[in-house]
Formats: sequence, structure tokens, C-alpha cells
Amino acid sequence: MRKSILMGLCALLFAFSGIAQNTTVTGKVVDEKGVPVAGASVLERGTKNGTNTKNDGSFSLQVKSGATLVISGVGFESRQLAASSGNLMIQLTPDVKSLNEVVVTGFGSQIKKEVTGNIARVKGKDIEFMPTPSVDAALQGKAAGVYVNSQSGKLGQAVSVRVRGSSSISAGSEPLYVVDGVPITTGSQSSYGGATNPLVDLNPNDIESIEVLKDASAGAIFGSRAANGVVLITTKKGKGGKTNVSLNVQTGNAQSSRRVPFLNSEQYAELLLEGAKYIDDFYGTPYTDPFSETVYVKDWMDYFSYGQWTTDPKKTYEWQDVAFQKGQYRQVDLQLSGGNDKTKFFISGQYLDQGGIIIGNNLERMTARMNIDHKANDWLTIGLTTNFARSLNKRLPDDNAFSNPLQSVALMPMTPNIIPAGQPGAGLPAGTPPGDPNIPMYYNPQISIDYGRFSAESFRNFSTGYANIKLLPGLTFQSEFGMDIMSQQEEGYFQSQTVRNQTRAVRGVGSNRAVFITNYNTNNYLNYTKSIGKSDINATLGMQYQQSRNSSNFVEGLDFPSDSYQRIASAATISGGSSSQTDFRFLSYFLRTNYKYADKYLVSLSGRIDGSSRFGANNRYGFFPAISAGWILSNEKFLSNFTPLSFLKFRASYGIVGNAEIGNFPQLALFTGGAGYAGIGGQEPSQIGNPDLKWETTRQFDIGFDFGFLNNRITGEIDYYNKQTEDLLLRTNIPSTTGFNSVVRNLGSLQNSGIEFVLNTQNLVGDLKWTTSLNVAFNRNRVTNISGQIIEGGIARLPNRAMEGQPLGVFWGVEYAGVNPANGDAQFFRNLKNADGSIDRSILSNSQFNQAQRVALGDPNPDVIAGVTNNFSYKGFDLSFQFNGVFGNQVSVYGMGQYSMANMIYEDNQTADQMNRWRKPGDITNVPQARYYFGNGNQPSSRFIVDGSFVRLRTINFGYNLPSKIVKKAKLERVRLYVSALNLLTFTNNYPLWDPEVNADSFDSNIAKGNDFYTPPQPKTILFGINVGF
Amino acid sequence: MKNKFFTISLVAALMLSITACEKRLDIVPLQSLPPEQGLKTESDLGGMLIGSYNGLQSTSSYGGDIQLMADLWANRAYLRFRGTFANLLEIAGITTVSNVILKDNASAASLWSNAYRTINTCNLVLANLNLVTSSAAKKDRIEAEALFIRGSLYFELARLYGKAWGDGDNSTNLAVPLILTPTPSEVSGLKDENYPARATVAAVYGRAIADLQRAATLLPSTNLHYATKAAAWGQLSRIALMQGDYATARDMANNAITDFEGRGIGLQANFRDLFYNYINFGGVAPREYVFYMRVTTQDGTNGLNTYYGQTIGSIPGTAGRGDLDVQTAWVNRHSATDVRRSFFLVTNRRLTQKHVDRFGHVPVIRLAEMYLTRAEANFRLGTTVGATPAADVKRIRDRVALPEIPAASLTLSNILLERDLELAFEGHYLHDRKRLREPMPGSSFTNGPAWNSPRLVMPIPQREMDVNKNLVQNEGY
Repeated sequence: MRKSILMGLCALLFAFSGIAQNTTVTGKVVDEKGVPVAGASVLERGTKNGTNTKNDGSFSLQVKSGATLVISGVGFESRQLAASSGNLMIQLTPDVKSLNEVVVTGFGSQIKKEVTGNIARVKGKDIEFMPTPSVDAALQGKAAGVYVNSQSGKLGQAVSVRVRGSSSISAGSEPLYVVDGVPITTGSQSSYGGATNPLVDLNPNDIESIEVLKDASAGAIFGSRAANGVVLITTKKGKGGKTNVSLNVQTGNAQSSRRVPFLNSEQYAELLLEGAKYIDDFYGTPYTDPFSETVYVKDWMDYFSYGQWTTDPKKTYEWQDVAFQKGQYRQVDLQLSGGNDKTKFFISGQYLDQGGIIIGNNLERMTARMNIDHKANDWLTIGLTTNFARSLNKRLPDDNAFSNPLQSVALMPMTPNIIPAGQPGAGLPAGTPPGDPNIPMYYNPQISIDYGRFSAESFRNFSTGYANIKLLPGLTFQSEFGMDIMSQQEEGYFQSQTVRNQTRAVRGVGSNRAVFITNYNTNNYLNYTKSIGKSDINATLGMQYQQSRNSSNFVEGLDFPSDSYQRIASAATISGGSSSQTDFRFLSYFLRTNYKYADKYLVSLSGRIDGSSRFGANNRYGFFPAISAGWILSNEKFLSNFTPLSFLKFRASYGIVGNAEIGNFPQLALFTGGAGYAGIGGQEPSQIGNPDLKWETTRQFDIGFDFGFLNNRITGEIDYYNKQTEDLLLRTNIPSTTGFNSVVRNLGSLQNSGIEFVLNTQNLVGDLKWTTSLNVAFNRNRVTNISGQIIEGGIARLPNRAMEGQPLGVFWGVEYAGVNPANGDAQFFRNLKNADGSIDRSILSNSQFNQAQRVALGDPNPDVIAGVTNNFSYKGFDLSFQFNGVFGNQVSVYGMGQYSMANMIYEDNQTADQMNRWRKPGDITNVPQARYYFGNGNQPSSRFIVDGSFVRLRTINFGYNLPSKIVKKAKLERVRLYVSALNLLTFTNNYPLWDPEVNADSFDSNIAKGNDFYTPPQPKTILFGINVGF
Repeated sequence: MKNKFFTISLVAALMLSITACEKRLDIVPLQSLPPEQGLKTESDLGGMLIGSYNGLQSTSSYGGDIQLMADLWANRAYLRFRGTFANLLEIAGITTVSNVILKDNASAASLWSNAYRTINTCNLVLANLNLVTSSAAKKDRIEAEALFIRGSLYFELARLYGKAWGDGDNSTNLAVPLILTPTPSEVSGLKDENYPARATVAAVYGRAIADLQRAATLLPSTNLHYATKAAAWGQLSRIALMQGDYATARDMANNAITDFEGRGIGLQANFRDLFYNYINFGGVAPREYVFYMRVTTQDGTNGLNTYYGQTIGSIPGTAGRGDLDVQTAWVNRHSATDVRRSFFLVTNRRLTQKHVDRFGHVPVIRLAEMYLTRAEANFRLGTTVGATPAADVKRIRDRVALPEIPAASLTLSNILLERDLELAFEGHYLHDRKRLREPMPGSSFTNGPAWNSPRLVMPIPQREMDVNKNLVQNEGY
């Protein structure tokens, strides 16, 4: 609206000044926030008369009267307006028409509208200042077809990322991460608790852009490493002109996104006594017999409540209060950027201190980055980026450990959190010596927090240097050398108080482990660009070599003089020690040619030859080619009159990429030396060899449209893809009578196919701006052939399984048939295939469980993932929020449910819904009768498979920019105050535990997804922040 | 001109860097070795033999599970399982009327796979004995130790996964596959014979006897904490007992006793000192141990401690989950003065003190067992080989402050009760019931399963059934 008024005003001015021959236009170009734009071009339309804005954004230009000015700046939409005398204030809006963007493609870049492959781009700005410590987690819901599952609320732990579905069973399934040209180390280096995420060492606020290469055409340049997609991360560089300083401070706190209701003491006792009564009835034991279960469980409740239960049976202690805490969050970011024509720099620093939502969990990070680009002369440009990071993660044990704080929910509700007065150890957490160490029923995890520690401290350096040489017109040579050095030390000490859990900690146990990873990479390539008539050619030819070495050592000590001495120097017994080293190397050559004819027809050919130390001697090198083509229909005459359409491109690609994440040395027959006995070293066979072993091969076809309507106010993409993966690296089962359980073979195939849809709209322009971006992806994953192999992962007895005709990792177990109303027995479907192919759906009783056939019970892979982001701005206010959704997947709660959702088979406290158990003939319920220590429905069955769909208000951010008048008085450029939140709201389909965005770290593998095992939920974080520019 | 020079030199540099990298793809692992490098010398073979002991020491074998099964199984009246491991709960919970072991029971699977992993290591040792060049004696010893381990494992597998000896026809009842040669090192070498069927009970017992007999011939009398002649005789006496071959059982036990007594070793004077090996003796094993799995602070886990033990605040060095609660009915089988009657610790459980030491060794065969076996066999056969049954029983009873039973009034049930009490929780109970054709204990309210109940035979692991079509599942699974 304002724009048109301005235009009208300009037109009026033009009318008055129309008589003048020449006129001098002066003005100032600023961005949407009022910050001057330096180096923007101001051009008189239709002429070569023009100038660039100065550092303060000002310009002055003599133009013919009546001329129109064209103002354009990198990253902004170009603008036209009538030249007029006086001081113009020209505001540029950022270029959100993504089609004009330049995207990074790996060993080069390309204008997005000319790209024929499928590349999703996420701008650094879109993930700025989010309270997720790693960039992968921040990608959630931002890119179509990229499924991010944060898995656990523990800080700094591994995040699962799947680009267009899982394309491997036994090999790695995470994408390749390349930071400024260097494939970085992303594998967990954790030796305690769950897997960690080395991407935490990269400050997300240093990122300029993230490109996800999704199809084979985009990925082929990364050959044997691209089958899971490639994430190219480009860090920020200096922009010339005035030195910009930006300071951002944010603080707040995080809490569990949900609490799960558990039984109170009265309910607990009722259920436990009911179960004991059943057993006593079964054996005919009188309830008052001293050896009856009834007497036994009463004694137990008394014993584990420090004798309180008999006197006060209603007193209930909430153990979730012990496990959860309010985590404090503090973060400071400082960024400086500037330079001149020849030299540009960017410097940044960050301090982050993030408290976990679980007691004892904390992450602290400091990063510093410096980037310099220097144009030495007209043929040589050089640059260097270096980044140092230090992170200190106070870690938690894995989910399947009694010391996992969230496992305290299993403790009896009548057990006090603190030892009551009058007892030995009064005032200490329950179970702390000198109190009775066997109370509570299981180990009290709080003791490990109070009397133990385990931290991982990591020092990381990413550095890249490059030289770009213009050899001939159109021909450049780029040489890059990069490294990623990671040094991590894990240090733990558990005092004698923790001995019930750390059984070696009789007089303290300390451990120290160091990992040192050196990862060097060099890229050397020639780039040639040439235009001949209507033809444009761009070709890249080069090589890449990478070598990585992982060395580690470990020492553990026992028998410390006292708990005051916590370093192994003081240990009387060195109980463990080792050192190890492993290497991998890649040598690759690549070629890519892009051809464009008449701005309409696009063809791209690319290929890579990869050699790796991981492949068998008989298959050392692989070739990975791809071809793609595009047709920009909107540039054709027959569509040029169709005005609503501003852009339309059709594209298609086909290619072959590989997966080399098969570990080091999978091809060799091996003996392992770790088989000592009683102090003498020993060896034993550990692996059967396969000299034919090679990469997994994925053939991918992609077809899509890019479109823009209404002057690109509506843009979007639609893609269909089909990924066929074969020669899977399968850990195929062999009879364990051979002495081995499996061998690795290239065997089997699976497929992913799907549709992706992206839509970006500018709903409102003018004072009140509203933009929406939506992405939706459907993926269908099927294992097509694994030659009858049984490959399982996850939780024993209700495992995730790879099965032909099923999605990868389906839950495999018996189908639950509810409760027999007559006797309270759990029942199961037989599901036996009859001779005629039909399924026997007869119902089996609890004791016939062994006869029930196992079937696929659910799929941990979502059918649909979606994200939608809305941005509003009005004057100084801005509001943005993002929802993301995951639909059609199941979660197995069996891991925890077999104890805590199993009608009190053991003494574990139960979720409140277990009160609905069967009690008397005729009761209609889904919860079987309580039978103490008699399996009745705790067996692995679909009773424990639940819907994992959810919709989450992932981020919301509301900000206010102080008026520039006030800001200027304080000699500042800008001041923005904001409040933001992460995971503020979550909507589930009656998910019974904390959070359906889950995967238990103890069981995590490629196929073991969607298991909940006392897994901490995602944090709900609320922050207040201030951003100051000067 | 300048540009051309750069072009040429840079492209040349690029090409050079490529050829220099080429060879760098050949790297070999450092922790693990390809077989051709790992098995070249006599000391390599010695390392492989240690690897077999490492397998035998696993908590899935003699490190715990083999013994645990025998005392846990269907023994609810005497030993109640209070833990949350469903695999153990199933085994413990077997009664006549309800509860079954599921086919995918983790204990059944790990015991099987670990045994065969160890057998393969033994087979690799046996197939490469030609590497021993230093002395014939050393070659014999290495062969004998590998045979001892293999024979012991086949015996244990046969009695856990097959029907009891004499329960029907031993020559048709199925036990486990017999694997006597090493598995090929490369996948292309896997053939039909690597997908074996189950051998009969008779065949597997026969193989175990042959292995152990040769081992007994070749082994030395003393061999640090490794297998000895006496250990092999001990195993042979156990096999013979299972077969009801009392003469052999007597003679083998007598051989072991004679060997020990010849070296001046008798029973440990104090019953308590047979245990608490690390807490009280810094890891020195009692001399009475004929064979045991050695646990140190750095190597090995006492799997019995894991379930039978518990952390006792007043006894540093104790650990365990405290899953096994000895019932009063068991305590009541002891006489009032019996030292073993009070060899329990009462927390929220009643724990046997045999396995509370975190770093205690895992006993496999004790001299006391040999005396009890000789006594029983002599008594049944009416012989007095080595000593009279009364004298042998007296040795056991003296130590635990029980009065002598005069020869005239000594009965078989006296000897068998003594055996139960002396060897409790050391892996005998189930197997003794089977050979004696007695039911598992019932309570006053219910009967235990009969000795030949299919519920007292392990299922062939589900994963083995899935992967090897030549296997047949046991009855009832």
C-alpha cells in the first residue's frame, strides 16, 4: 500500500520537474530494517549511467529528467522508481523470490532457477538464535523431504536425519555433512550414555546457508557418499563496506514438555495386593501365611517406604519431580563483519550455557570464528576460515540404565525421595549410604547425580584455506585444503555412594578416555565458463582426497584413597586401559558439465569415481554418473502472454549414487585381540571376510516442476522421486554354530518413493507483511529383497525388523487381542497362515502365547512430514512461528511398558491408566488382571505399539524493533527485543508417555527407531532476547 | 604468457597429487588382524587358546549362566527370582501348570551362540597345532586344553538343549549340532556343512567323553589356573553320573582326588574361605577348586554375582542385583548346627554368601564334589574305592560342624542331601534331579515339574531356527 502511494508521489514530483533537462538525484538506500546498504547499484534505466552506494548507503547521480532509477543490491529485490530531486529514502526488500538465489552445489554454485537437480536451501537467518545446540535439529520442518527426529531431550545427543527416507539397513543412513568443502566428522565419539552429536561443535549462528542435495543429479558429485543426501553448510563471510557489529543476548529456561501420570500410593498398593492375591489363590496359600505373596508385598511396601506405608498409606512421592528440573539458558553472540574492496572479514564468537530438563545435564559451548577473503590481484583470490570450539557436556547415562534419572518413575510411590528423620542417612536422597543402599526398590538415580559425574569436553577446529586463480578468461582453478580436528576427553568419577549402580565403585571408580580425530581434505578443481551464441557452458573437473584417523585411549582406576581424590593418578588399581586407532581414506575424481541453451533448455551431466580403503580388494573403485535436464517453459513464447505465470520450469534427473558408510574394514576376515583371560592376552576370530564387498548403490529418478505466479508472489516446487537401493550391505545372519552371528554381504534391495511439495507465498505486502512457507513430503519406504534374512534391532522380543514388503524397521511381534472378560487373561491373535493363504484369526489365551505368530505391528517411519512457517511484520513488530508435523508412524513403548504399563507384573510403579485393569468376570477393559510375577499381557505384543503422530508448535518468535529515532540517539544501528519459544505446544494422538518425538539411545540403530524407553522428552524452552547492532 | 604457465603447472600439480594418493587407499587395521597375520606362530596359537578360555569365561558359559540355569530352573520353592529379566523370570517361573519359556529366550540364545563361538576358537586351535614347534609336551598341552574346553561345552549343551540321558532313546533323541572343524575365514567358504542338523544325545555325549578322555591323558597335573588332569576327570565323572555309569563316575572322581591328595591338597579347612576370594584373599583361589573361572579386577565378570549378589553396605566389595531370594524352605533343609545353614545374608532378600564378592572367582568343580561323587558311587556299587562312603561324607560334614554319620546308618539319601547342601547354587540342582529321576521341588501347595518334563529342556534359539532350516525345535516350543 505504502509502495503505491510512494509511487504516486514520485509520479507527481516527476510531473512537476518534467521540464528540467538534467537533474541530480540524491538519496540513501537502506534495507528492510533501515540499515544502510553499501555497494548497491543505482542505474538510470536503459542507460549505462549509474553509481554504487557508499558505506552509509548514500548516492548521488545525474540523470535525465523523467528517467527511471533501477536500484539493485545483492540479496535484495531490485526496485524501480521515478527519479526525482531531493533526498530519496529507498528501502529495499530482501529477495525472497528464491528462484533468483544462488545455491551452493558442491565444488561450485548455480543460480537456483537454472538448477536441474533437487536442492533444498535453508538460510542461516531462518535458524538463527534457535535454542537447539546443533544445526541438524534446527532443520526440522524446514526442508521438504528431510525428516529430523531429535530422539531425546538429553543435550548434545545424536539426532536422526533422513533425507527422502532410509536407504540402508546396515550401513550409515545419516547424510554426509560438508562444511565449507570439508566432509566433517559426524559420528558419535561417546563411550558413556547414548550417542553424541559432533555437530554441536558448529555454532549454527555462523551459518550463511544450508543446502541439502536430495536427488542423484545433485548428489552424484559426491559419488559413493551421497545416497543418504548431502548437507552442504556454508559459513558466513564478510560483506564489504561499513563494519557491522551485532550483539545478541538471550536468556530463559527449559522444562519438560509433559508429565506422565503415575499411580499414587493408594492405587499402587491396591494393584500390588490384587496381584499378590491372585498368586496366593493360585497356589492355595492363605493370605496370612508368612510365606504368602500378600504378606511378602506388604512387607515390601513397608520396607521400601522406610516403614511409613503402614502408618500413612496415602503418602505419595512424585518421583518425576526428582528427575526433571528447570534448565537455565544463557547465550551471547557477537558478530563483526566488514572490509573493503580487496579484503573482507567476518569474526564471531559465542558463549552458550544450556541446562537440561533432566537433573545433572548441562551443555556449555564457546566458539570463535574468523574468516578473511582477500583479492590479491586480478587473478588471485585467497581466503582462510578458521573456527575454534570448546564444548563441555555434562552427560547422563543411557536410557536403559538404572541411573537414568527418568527411570526413577519406576520406583514405588510410597518411597520417600529423601531418607526420613530417625533413619541412618536422614536428609540424604533415598538409598544414599550410610542409609540402607537397597532402598528404593531400584537404584535411586539422584545418587549418581549427587555423587558422580561424567563429562565430555571437546575441542574442535574447522579450518579451510583456498586459493582461486583466474587462469584464462572463463577458466578458474580452485584449490582448497581443509581440516577438521577433534579432540575429546571424557572424564568420569563415581564415588563409593553409587556402588549399588557402579558396582566397581567400592572405593571409587574413575575413568578417562581421549579421542583424537584428524580429518584432512583437499579439493582441487578447474571451472570453465563459456558463452557461445545462445549456448552457455559451465564445466567443473577435479579431484578430492580425504583421510581420517581416529585414535583413542582409555584408562580406568579403582581403589581411591578417598572420594576427595578423583583423578586416576590416585587410583591404587588401574583396572582398565586401552588404546586404539582406525583410519579411512577416499580418493575421488569428479566432473560436471552444465549446458544452457537460449535460457530455456538445460542439461547437466556429472560423475564421480570414488576409491576407498573401505572397499574390498576386488571392488576398489566405483563410478557414479548422473544426468539431468530442465526446460524453462515460462521463457517460451507460447507462455509469455500468460501473465499470472511468472516462472515455470520442468526438470528431470536420473543417476547413481553410493553409500560408503560401512565402517572401516568390513571386508576383511579378522581376528580380534581383546580376548584375554586372567591377565594373559588372547585372540579369537571376530569377523568373516568378504573381498568382494563394495558400496551400496542407489539409483534415483526425480521429476519436478518449479513454478512462480503473480510476479513470483507465489512460488513453489513439486517433485516426485523414486530411489532404488541395491547391493545393500547386509549383516546377514548365519547359524551361530559357525562361531559367528553374521557376515557382511552386498545383498538385497529397498526402495523409497515419494512426493514433495513446497509453497512460498507473500500473502500481504505493505505495512503489514505476511509470508507463508509450507513444505509437505510423503515418503513410502519398502524393503524389497533381503533374501529371507532376519535382521533385527531395537528392543529384544519386540524388535524393529527389516522384512521384505514392509517398511524398514517395522515392529515385529504378536498381535494383542485384548482381555478375556470371563477371566482377565490377556489374549492374542494366532495369525497363522492357513494352507489356503488365509489368516487364522482365532484368539489364543495368555498361556498359549508361544503359538501366536509374529506379524508386523507398526512402522516407525512417518508417512507424511510437514512444516509450515508464517512470518508477520508490522512497523517495528515481527512475529514468526513454525509448526511441524509428523504423521502415520508408530512408536513402541514396550521397552518401558513391559514394566510400567503391564498391570503390575513387577513392583514397578504403573502409569495411571493401569487402574483400568480387569477385576471381575464381565469387566470389559484392555488392561488384563494384575498377577504378581505371572506374565499376563506383559508379553511383547501390539498392546505396546502406539500412534506416534504429532503436530508441534516448534518455534515462535515475537520481536519489536525500537524506533530508529530512539536507537540513533543511543548511537546504535538497531535494537530488537524479542521473546521466543521452542516446542511450546505439542498435539498428539493420546501418546501415553512423555513425547512421541523419541528414540531410546540405548537401542538406537539404523533400523531401531521409534522406541521409547524412559527417554527424556524434548524441552519446552522460553527465551527473552535483545539484539543490538552498531 | 603468465597465464599459460600457471595453467600448465597447476594442472601438472593436480595430476601429480592424484598419483601420489593412489597407494594411500591400502591400509590395514591395527586392533584386529587378518588371519594370515594373526595365526603364524606358536605364540599366536597360544593367544588363540587363551581366546577359548575367554569364551568359556563368558557370563553366558561357565562365567555364570551354565551354573545359574541349573539352580534357577523351576526351583521356585527354594530360590525365588525377584528380578525383572524376563528371560530369567521365564526359566525360574516354570511350574507344572503355567508359564513357558519363550522360544526367543535371551539366555537360551546367548548360551548357545557363545558356546559355539568358543568351540570354533577351539577348533581353530586344534586345526593349527602344527604351529607348535618348541616341544611335543607343549603341543600336547595346547591340544588337551582345547579339547577340555570343547568337550566340556558339548556336555553342557547336550544336557541343556537335549533330553536327559536315558529319557527315551539316546541314539534318536536330538541334542545339538557337532562342529569339529574351524569355520572358513571368508564368506565364499561357507558350505552346506555350516548349516548343520542336530546330532543325537548319544553322539554329543560320546564326543564330549572322547574329547575329555584325550584331554585327561595329555593334560598336566598342575597348570596354573588352566585345565588340568583333575579337571578333565572331574568333567568325566559328571558325565558318567548323568549316564548312571557309577563305576566310571567313581573312578574318575577317585583319580581327581588321588591327584590332589598326592600333592597334599584336601578340603579347605574353613567352609567360608572357599568364597570371598577377592574381598578376603585378594583374588587367591582356594586350593580346593579343581577348575574355576578366574575373575580379576580387569578381566572377567562373575555372572553369578550379578544375580545372587547384592551391595551390602557393611561389606565393601559386594555387588549384584539381588535378584535371587533363597527361600526358608531351603534353609530348613539344613541341620541346626550346619555352618552352611547360616551362610546367608539377609537384606530385603536372603542371599547366599557364595556369590556376593564382586571379583570372586566362579567355581566350576570343587574337590568336595569329587568326594561326594565317589561316596555316592561307592555306596551304590557297594565298593570302597579310595575311601569308604562314610569317610568321604565325614570329610564334608566335619568342615561344617555336623556330626559324623556312622557307616552302619549311612543311607543314599544322606549322601544326596549332603550333596544338595554342599553344592547348592553352584550349578548342580536341576541336573541331579534329572539323573535321579526326581521332580523339581514343589511347595506344600503345588508339585514341581517331573524330571523329564519338556519344560525342563531349553528351546533351540529362535534365531537359529530362523536361519538354519536343518534344525528341529524341541518338544513344547
